[in-house]
Amino acid sequence: MSHGATQGLTILGMPVDLHILIMTWMVMAVVVLLAFIATRNLTEVPTGMQNVFEWIISALNGQVSASLGERGPAVAPFFVSLFLFILIANWWGLVPGMTSPTRSLNTNFGVAVVVVILLHLLGLYYKGFKYIKHFFEPIFPFVVINLLEEIVKPITLSFRLFGNILAGEVLIHILPQILPNVFLEVIPGVVWLGFSLFVGVIQAFIFTILSVSYFANAVKESED
Amino acid sequence: MVSIDGTLFAQIVNFIVLVILIRVFVYKPVVKVMHEREAKIAHSIDAAARDAKEAQELLTKYKAQLEEARAEAQEIVDKALKRAQDEYNAAVNNTKQEIEEMKATAKKEIEQEREQAALQLKGEIVTLSLMAANKVIAANMDSDKNKKLVSDFVDKLDENKLGGLSC
Repeated sequence: MSHGATQGLTILGMPVDLHILIMTWMVMAVVVLLAFIATRNLTEVPTGMQNVFEWIISALNGQVSASLGERGPAVAPFFVSLFLFILIANWWGLVPGMTSPTRSLNTNFGVAVVVVILLHLLGLYYKGFKYIKHFFEPIFPFVVINLLEEIVKPITLSFRLFGNILAGEVLIHILPQILPNVFLEVIPGVVWLGFSLFVGVIQAFIFTILSVSYFANAVKESED
Repeated sequence: MVSIDGTLFAQIVNFIVLVILIRVFVYKPVVKVMHEREAKIAHSIDAAARDAKEAQELLTKYKAQLEEARAEAQEIVDKALKRAQDEYNAAVNNTKQEIEEMKATAKKEIEQEREQAALQLKGEIVTLSLMAANKVIAANMDSDKNKKLVSDFVDKLDENKLGGLSC
């Protein structure tokens, strides 16, 4: 497997990692396939995958509505997509021969950038001038700190996910090499796989919930 | 691996495409089904509460009706018993009265017959006395004859019955 940006493809003169792109498309395909299975025969009494999707959607809707208030439902689909994509992407590297798209900083930063751009656009849409004004509060010089905070948001989001997923996959590859034989590798390997599944869920959840809280600051109606 | 390159832009586009796909093909239909179910459950709960209330009202009504019917039935039974008792009393009284009347009639008849018999007896006694007197007068020539006549008459009185009555 090649993990470098050496496939010859470029965007705006910059090289593109085709392997990560292909993995991303696979993850997208899996998400769409699961979604298709869940929604092809929607029934009033949910079963199987419909149950799983309903559970995820209602849990995230609850979080989003609690944080964003009345404006929550408008952006809830975005967070559902975010969670599903990151979850499957985190798990994808646990499938033999596959790589998690989220072990590439490009993927994580790209998603985080979408989150940050969208929240600023919605902040401007809902609050207008007041939204720009709040960067200069409580006094004008604070604009530096406030802008820095906004710049740091996508960086922390993406690096947290990147570090966790990369570490998990690296250890999966290292374990067979540091343990003397395949029998001794089984137990730590399986345990680490299980833990990676757990980490995948937790990281997807953290990424989504932090995004929701960033949105809440920008989008939620101010109390005054 | 830690570098940022053109993949970033491709991933942004990929993610936006996925968001659109999920919003259109997953989120909307699933949320629609969830809302429909929510509405249906809410409706069912309302209907169940309404039905329970109606059932309670009906139960109360039926209980009241049953109580009323019981009271009416008891009243009818009481009336019937009272009427039967009255009829019984009336029948007994009638019978007693009839018995009294019959007794009175019988007494009266017995009295009348006794009086009639006494009268008849008196008449026969008078007739016999007259006959005896006639005979005494007709044979009153001497005292021996008189004695004999009276003695014969008295003997005849012992031997025969007077007017069908025992002396």
